[in-house]
Amino acid sequence: MQLEIEAQRAAANLSLPMDELEQVATSAPSLIGAAQSLEELKAAETELLGKNSVIAQKRRGLGGLDPADRPTVGAKINEVFAAIQATLNDRKRQLEIIEENVLLVGDRVDVTVPHVRSRLGTQHILTTVMDEVSDIFVSLGYQVATGPEVETAWYNFDALNTPSSHPARAESDTLYVDFGDPADEMLLRTQTSPVQARYMQQHEPPVHVVVPGRVFRSDSLDATHSPVFHQVEGLVVDTDITFADLKGTLEYFARTFFGADRVIKLIPHFFPFTEPSAEMHVSCFVCDGSGCRVCSNSGWIELMGCGMVDPNVFEAVGYDPSKVSGFAFGMGVERLAMVRHGITHIKHFFENDLRVLGQFV
Amino acid sequence: MKVSLNWLSDYIDLPTSDPTELSDIFANLGHEVEGVEILEPQFRDVVIGKVLTVQPHPNADKVRLCSVDTGDGPTDIICGAWNFEAGATVPVAVPGAILGEDFLITQRDIRGVTSNGMICSAKELGLGEEADGIMVLAEDLPIGTPFVDHIELPDVVFDLAITPNRPDAMSMVGLARELAAHFEITYRVPSPVLGDTTGEMDLRVDIEDDRCRRFVAREVRGVEVRPAPTWMSQRLVKAGVRSISNIVDVSNYVMLELGQPTHAFDRDKVADGHIVVRAATEGETLVTLDGTERQLTPEDLLVADIEQASSLAGTMGGLESEVSDSTTNVLIECASWDPPTVMRMSRRHGLRSEASARFERGVDPNLPPLAADRMAEMIAAHAGGSIVGGMVDNYPEPVEPQVLSLAISEVHRILGIHLSRAEVAGLLARLNFAVSPGGRGDDDIEVAVPTNRPDVTRPIDLIEEVARLHGFDNFPSRVPTGGNGGLSAEQLRLRTLRWVARGAGFSEAHTSTFSGHADLAMLALPADDYRSRTIEVKNPLRDEESIMRTTLIPGLLGSARFNIAHGADSVALFETGKVFFNQESPELGTVPDQPDVFSFVAVGSMGPGDVAEGGRPVDVFAGMALWRSIVDQMGLGSYEIQQAEIPGLHPGRGALIVLEGGPIGHIGELHPAVARAFDLDGRVLVGELDLNPLVADPGIWSFAEPSVFPSSEFDLSFDVATTTPAAALAAEASKAGGELVESVEVFDEFLRGDSKAVGLRVRIRASDRTLTADDVADVRTKVTGAVTASTGANLRGA
Ligand SMILES: [Zn+2]
Repeated sequence: MQLEIEAQRAAANLSLPMDELEQVATSAPSLIGAAQSLEELKAAETELLGKNSVIAQKRRGLGGLDPADRPTVGAKINEVFAAIQATLNDRKRQLEIIEENVLLVGDRVDVTVPHVRSRLGTQHILTTVMDEVSDIFVSLGYQVATGPEVETAWYNFDALNTPSSHPARAESDTLYVDFGDPADEMLLRTQTSPVQARYMQQHEPPVHVVVPGRVFRSDSLDATHSPVFHQVEGLVVDTDITFADLKGTLEYFARTFFGADRVIKLIPHFFPFTEPSAEMHVSCFVCDGSGCRVCSNSGWIELMGCGMVDPNVFEAVGYDPSKVSGFAFGMGVERLAMVRHGITHIKHFFENDLRVLGQFV
Repeated sequence: MKVSLNWLSDYIDLPTSDPTELSDIFANLGHEVEGVEILEPQFRDVVIGKVLTVQPHPNADKVRLCSVDTGDGPTDIICGAWNFEAGATVPVAVPGAILGEDFLITQRDIRGVTSNGMICSAKELGLGEEADGIMVLAEDLPIGTPFVDHIELPDVVFDLAITPNRPDAMSMVGLARELAAHFEITYRVPSPVLGDTTGEMDLRVDIEDDRCRRFVAREVRGVEVRPAPTWMSQRLVKAGVRSISNIVDVSNYVMLELGQPTHAFDRDKVADGHIVVRAATEGETLVTLDGTERQLTPEDLLVADIEQASSLAGTMGGLESEVSDSTTNVLIECASWDPPTVMRMSRRHGLRSEASARFERGVDPNLPPLAADRMAEMIAAHAGGSIVGGMVDNYPEPVEPQVLSLAISEVHRILGIHLSRAEVAGLLARLNFAVSPGGRGDDDIEVAVPTNRPDVTRPIDLIEEVARLHGFDNFPSRVPTGGNGGLSAEQLRLRTLRWVARGAGFSEAHTSTFSGHADLAMLALPADDYRSRTIEVKNPLRDEESIMRTTLIPGLLGSARFNIAHGADSVALFETGKVFFNQESPELGTVPDQPDVFSFVAVGSMGPGDVAEGGRPVDVFAGMALWRSIVDQMGLGSYEIQQAEIPGLHPGRGALIVLEGGPIGHIGELHPAVARAFDLDGRVLVGELDLNPLVADPGIWSFAEPSVFPSSEFDLSFDVATTTPAAALAAEASKAGGELVESVEVFDEFLRGDSKAVGLRVRIRASDRTLTADDVADVRTKVTGAVTASTGANLRGA
């Protein structure tokens, strides 16, 4: 009898806390789910897990239990506690998102309103085009060279096979400066070619060089002429350079600068420093050759002068024309930019009007 | 050169007359086509008429009543022109004719008299600009025939830009030769038939100057000066040459036909029948055809008689000896002149003509006899008279065709195409170059170059001809490889510098290389300033462009002003470019010092900010901010900003920038007076720095391991004299603090009566340990002591 009573008590003591814990575990999710704010959730947490909660009471009562029951009851307490905690955390994350969303709605701005901006400067189109042209040739293995703008007549003319009687030397074409004697010796270079002569004097072949820079003519300003303008010239000298190399190189340039569909044609021309000489024309990138305003209805745009380096130029700089051959070409930077971007007047390159500079991207 | 297709067809039977096709052929032969004119008659039903009588109009003073035969007997026509009399042959628009688009000619009553048509001027017929009088035509045109039959319409006129090396292409025959070479067909050179001659020439020609290479003369006696035949004057008009008279027109015609300029003298004005070709004497004068008295020098070459100068050789005739209406005996000059001499003369006297354009290029010295015969033939045909027998030909050193040796392998080496010896010979033969085997090896050919090709003197010139006739279109393409290129460190760093300047808000500008003395005066530079060492342009285009710039600042300020004038509130510009400095007695052949500089200006405001706020107002610190960005982004070495009075700048807001111990330029605000001179308001930031030290390759930088230990920082506040730069305190603190000091920044500065307060923030850190309180105290003591000792500052609150 005694034993039976003991057994019944034990069962009652054991079964009572277990039932209560089950009950808490069952009712907790709806209590937690009912919390509509982090504040209400806090209250629910206190009720479920606070010091007056069933779980806290049971935990405190563990010591009064039969040592044999303690592990079972303790495990159950921990299980229920963890389940409630997890549910609380889930709900907390939900409520946080909800509350943040409310805040974000209030934080909305009209992003189309102009506001703080960085005011960066722009690169001048002449620099952009000179860099771009240089880079095309750098990608073919050229170096970039520069040289003096006030130059001697020897480098600008004599070394380039331009005889002393040549009309280009006249004061109506070339600007001269007062610097030393004789007076007709020092001038403003009329082309970037003197840099080629200087470069060849300083380097043994092979030569692959491109020369961007500022040049000068005694031209008054009109839509397409300015006394100050820019050129990019190129020069290749090696033991086996032919007219076919010139043609292929200019084709490569035209397609890289104006687009892959471009074709070129070379028309015989005359320059003192090349023989044979040619003018290079590229098929119009606007109309594709059918004729438009950009190409004056010809389908072609005249782009540059070129040719095989004249043997006299090689002799002037100390190269042996029977051993090396080479080609040279030169183009106007303003013209390239005007053609490609439809710029209407050469003055736009030098007035530095911010409304124009701002377009140079 | 303007080329009428009808005229050209006298010398070649072209397989095509398509203007586009012919244009392409001309271009591919190296004769650029600058324009193509399709000429159609601008009239209908205009006929040849003969003026029978001319009488005053009974009721009007300004017009006359003419009786004109247009093939159906006399008819009355009222005419307002006065440049003709009875007997003139004229173009008549009969009733029913149409001029221009839709001007219908009808019978009209003019002040009570019926006018049955209209006698036409060249302009009314669309044949030129001549509107002052009616066209007076050659007398032998059959009356009543359509006028259009006599003026070779329709026609096509090509405007060719003949390159300066090709005198041979400056003629109809020369271009026929080029086209014949292209089509591989024949062409025709005129062969004059002189018929019976009268007497023998009695003329002596002495060449006293070797700039005359040949002088050929012929004579025609008993000519009558009158209008040239209509077909001839119309051909000249299409070529852009005015028709004057039969003699002058024949001279121009032969020049355009053969390329040999000729000159016609009045034979009776040559004193003693003795012509001397000589240099002018100093101070000699000659009144030329245009009525201008020319001052001559020994550089000028003259054709003279024994008494006086008759003409400027190859350039322009003299008024006195010129053929006039009363001339009956004509002396024909066909000469060959030294090309540079004619070029200099024509430029010196401002006389550029069709003749000088040919002589400048170099006319074939073997052409004059043909030209003289052709001219004599045509004068006799169109001006009457008889040709005098014989020809004076003074040719001291006859020019023979030059023989060149060409290796076929050279053709391949330069052109990159394989042509056989026979192919090369065939191409050259098309141009009348005589080709024979020979020269140094089996591979060689010998080529005799016609004397009309002075541009072909070397094997490379033959290779050019081979390339031209082979056709540039027929060459293969190849892109050479083997270059060892790339941008240099300096070139890459220049791009970085521009990038930094743009990032700081400055837009890149390009300003003129030219400047004016007024610009430098506006900058208020003293005479001994380095920027006053200017180089003058000898032949400037304008006063404002008479010197080479020594600074970029005036140009940039001009651009700033331009923008303000066009409504901008703020402008910030930079430029990199050359400046030029003169020097005492430069070494011969050495170019002047022309370094590159990096310059910038700013007015208004700049930097990030609300559009409404407009950013931060520009002052000297905007320049310092840019400088600091350059230092940081480009890894420059130790620098110093020195307060300095710079000419042209605000005396208290200018700084010298010192890099690696040397000054490289200045940054500051313009002096207000200078800003006003440039028409700019408010503070104007300017800066100009030598470019080379900025972009010079600094070599490879080495890594500095960042310390893993925490830093410590403390502030010190000093009282110091207002003239002592805050930077001096910071520099001293940095030096005194030793290696623990990571940075010293001036975080505060303000005036306090006679002195100023300067706040320094010192950050210290050790690379190998955590700092202790003793470390901090130690640095603090050292820094305070050094700063107070060296700058006379007092630590505040101490
Ligand atoms: Zn087009």
